[in-house]
Amino acid sequence: MESMTPLKRKQWDRALTFALFTLPALAAILISVEIPFLMSVFSSFTKWNGLDRAQTFIGLENYKELFLDDLDMWKAFGFTLRLTLGSVLVVNLCALLLAVLLDSDIRGKNALRAAFYVPNIVSLIIIGYIWRFIFSAGFESFFQTTGMDFFMFSWLGDVNLVYFSVLMVSVWHSLGFYLVIYIAGLQTVPRDLIEASMIDGAGRVVRFFRITLPLIMSAITVSVFHSLSNGLKAFDVIFSLTNGGPGNSTTTIALDIYRTAFVINRFGYGTAKSVVLFLMILILSIFQVRLFKSREVEV
Amino acid sequence: MKKMLFVVMAVLLAFSPLFAAGQQEQAAGPVTLNVLFYSPELAEQYNDMVAAYKAETGVTLDITVLQTDYRSVLTSRLNSGDVPDIFMSSAYADNSTYKDYVYDLTNEDFIKKIEPSALQGVTVDGKVLGYPFLVQSHSFIYNKKVFADNGITTLPKTLADFEAVSKKLQANGVQPFATGFKEFWVLPQTAWQAIANVPAENYGGYENFVAKLNAGELKFKDIPQMSQVFDLLDLIKKYGGPKPNESDFNDQTSSLATGKVAMIHQGNWAEDSIRKTNPEVEIGFLVGPTGNNAATAGIMFDSNQTIRIAKDGKNLDAALDWLRWLTTSEYGRNWIPGKVKQLSPIIGAAAPDSQIAKETSALLASGTPGYPWFYQMFPTGTEQQLGAILQGYCAGITNRAQTLDALDSAYAKIAKAAQ
Amino acid sequence: MKKYTPASTFTTLILSVVALFYLYPLFLVVINSFKTFSEITSNVLALPKSLVFENFSNAFRIMNYPQYFLNTLLATAVGVSGVVLVSSMAGYKLSRTKTRYSFVMFMVLIAPMMIPFHSFMISLVKVAKELHLIGSPLGLGVLYWGLGASLALFMYHGAVKSVPQELDDCALIDGAGPLRAFFQIIFPLLQPVTVSVIVINTMWMWNDFLLPLLVLSGSKKSLTLQLAAYNFFGLYKVDWNFAMAGVLLTILPAVIFYLSLQRYIIKGMVAGAVKT
Repeated sequence: MESMTPLKRKQWDRALTFALFTLPALAAILISVEIPFLMSVFSSFTKWNGLDRAQTFIGLENYKELFLDDLDMWKAFGFTLRLTLGSVLVVNLCALLLAVLLDSDIRGKNALRAAFYVPNIVSLIIIGYIWRFIFSAGFESFFQTTGMDFFMFSWLGDVNLVYFSVLMVSVWHSLGFYLVIYIAGLQTVPRDLIEASMIDGAGRVVRFFRITLPLIMSAITVSVFHSLSNGLKAFDVIFSLTNGGPGNSTTTIALDIYRTAFVINRFGYGTAKSVVLFLMILILSIFQVRLFKSREVEV
Repeated sequence: MKKMLFVVMAVLLAFSPLFAAGQQEQAAGPVTLNVLFYSPELAEQYNDMVAAYKAETGVTLDITVLQTDYRSVLTSRLNSGDVPDIFMSSAYADNSTYKDYVYDLTNEDFIKKIEPSALQGVTVDGKVLGYPFLVQSHSFIYNKKVFADNGITTLPKTLADFEAVSKKLQANGVQPFATGFKEFWVLPQTAWQAIANVPAENYGGYENFVAKLNAGELKFKDIPQMSQVFDLLDLIKKYGGPKPNESDFNDQTSSLATGKVAMIHQGNWAEDSIRKTNPEVEIGFLVGPTGNNAATAGIMFDSNQTIRIAKDGKNLDAALDWLRWLTTSEYGRNWIPGKVKQLSPIIGAAAPDSQIAKETSALLASGTPGYPWFYQMFPTGTEQQLGAILQGYCAGITNRAQTLDALDSAYAKIAKAAQ
Repeated sequence: MKKYTPASTFTTLILSVVALFYLYPLFLVVINSFKTFSEITSNVLALPKSLVFENFSNAFRIMNYPQYFLNTLLATAVGVSGVVLVSSMAGYKLSRTKTRYSFVMFMVLIAPMMIPFHSFMISLVKVAKELHLIGSPLGLGVLYWGLGASLALFMYHGAVKSVPQELDDCALIDGAGPLRAFFQIIFPLLQPVTVSVIVINTMWMWNDFLLPLLVLSGSKKSLTLQLAAYNFFGLYKVDWNFAMAGVLLTILPAVIFYLSLQRYIIKGMVAGAVKT
């Protein structure tokens, strides 16, 4: 150590500190996610049913089939994109609006925040059952009391309406999650900046768009990124609410992958699909993160 | 620097109990069998049986019961080497799915005590690869009181009969069917029953039929009787209330039990839920129409739920002992008829206290055809895929020609991948 | 003294009405947990004829609640503390280091958020088995570190930007090592984010189902509450009365936890710390 120049010593120290801070996270993530995923990627080049002791190497056959001969998968992908677009927009706008309201000086803030958060911690099986019942039996009795035609439509059985039902349940379930992130973001905005602007005579709206919004950009980036990749991975809501039906009209790509791997027992093919899904999410996310991060402001 | 070392050591220390924790599971002592089953509706009955077995032999059965995630958990456990001693699966196509993991039961003494007809589904090339757990039947279940109240005295057998009965019920303000179309598995079991006689009559038997489909020589669109399937689905949908595509298993059983609907397509496993909802209900079994030929209309009767012994399980002998006990002991022989209340595959077993089981036996005794669940011979995965396509037909997404094409292409893909 | 304006009272009122509608489905879970099985299947929407408290005591007993509560608590506590620890450190360092390597590592560390769990869960079980992390809540908690770190890291990475860089140098000048500087000075300023990370991770770990199912199902004494509650749900038949009660018993601790942390978020506002 003594033979290093002061500059080299400083660089070495810096590198060591960097390693110290980042290696634990790296180790954990490698072990729990990335190494298992790479093992699965290897399977994507094989013909394997997930059970046989032997895996047959078939090179890019799975990928060829995926791109050229699997209309169902691309239909599922199309539906997934539509659903994601809808949910990202709706959930982020609603969560942000609610966060602003629930961060301001109003009575009963705590109770209201808890109220909107609770659906997020209930198991999706229950959610699926309850909402299924509301859509069918519940709506029937609402119809009897109110006579509104709205309640007689088949919200889960009609191909044209089921998109909205799924979107609604999905937003209902996840709103609370993004509410937490946005509230935390709003609270990192230094109060003295707000006060200063109030003294300067800035109105509510101006204050929000000029000061608050840029400073909570990091929370927005996180939320949009998370809701984007969650939307593209959507599985639980669909599984419990419609099971991809009617027919395959609400089958998302994650459900398609699950079925390919575990129901049809085409494990190799299924992992190939999940690799492609991952790459698509990766590309979209890099684009989105770069775009949003450039707007983040440091104090 | 010193601080860093301290932190690292602290972390390592924190990790050490981890390695100890994993090791402790190897303790010696009385044998515990690790079991993975589905059918959580039988949880109480499983517990009862476990207690009885422990009392008699001291061996503990540690049963984990799952349902929708069953397959993925089983696959993952078999894969990682964490093999359960005993597990469950379907018969027929699943014989090849799990071929690397199952123990060959052919030469076990207790297999001779099982009805040969029940062994058909688990025998491949003369080898018995599984133990038939239950014998089940499915067809149309009807509420006797609703039929009586609406003056229906002759039970329907053909499509025309069913249409007439439905018209009558509808005219009296009763919804004839709860479709169950939301469950993908209800569709195949309803649909394939409508052509249950066809493979034997026209294609040289079920095995030949499936072999031809697998080889691509035969396609669904070439089978003229598929129109019977569509006719039946159309009928059920027409008389299935305002939201036919939203009806699930719960809707079926509760609507039938309360008398809200008259008929559902289900199996004897539904009886428990139906009677729990309304203990006074009286239900009966109708045959499933095969077009307009009353003579070929029958019920679907087979043993599909199968128990399998893992050949690499740590407690192979103990597992076999348990199966022997299930087949030959006093408690074991009476467990399925008495506690599970379904039909047992054991020769000479008692009849269960189940309305549907009684009707099943009566129908079979009177000469009604009892068809095997031949659709379980289709490659694994077809049930869900073909079910979803049929569901799409019912939802109006595809017409008959498109549905047949979709069925063919989905089947061809799965068959090719299974080779 | 806080003065609530009429406008704010009005807002509270509107939001309360919205919240009531929002919670209606959960209201259904609650009322159904007090009904008998046949009451539930004949009409989900009706109020219970009489309160069947036995559903809860039965569910409590069948679910082996005390043991499984502790298991779930252990897995969650180990998981959450690990996530907070590793993610705050890494998120901070990566945010302050503006080199290309830093960005690449950042992408590598948040990439898992985009990978669907089903695509690697089988391999994960294999890896977990090799590392002896199977069959115990402690092992499960360790596995959670890698699964929760990505989002937490992402959040810390962004939140660090609102802490002035001058503070980093200040702390170091005082002679403290980098770790101590971070945890004593910077970390407390990130409290709202830490609380959010704790809340988010506690919730999903507490309610997680699939991974515990895969790694704990071989060992009956190690199960979590969700696994126990799930046993009431069959493909065909569901013990709805126990299932509803079981679900409430499972989410109650999580709700209480969240409510108690809420107040903590208010107390720990950043306000004063930034004034230098």
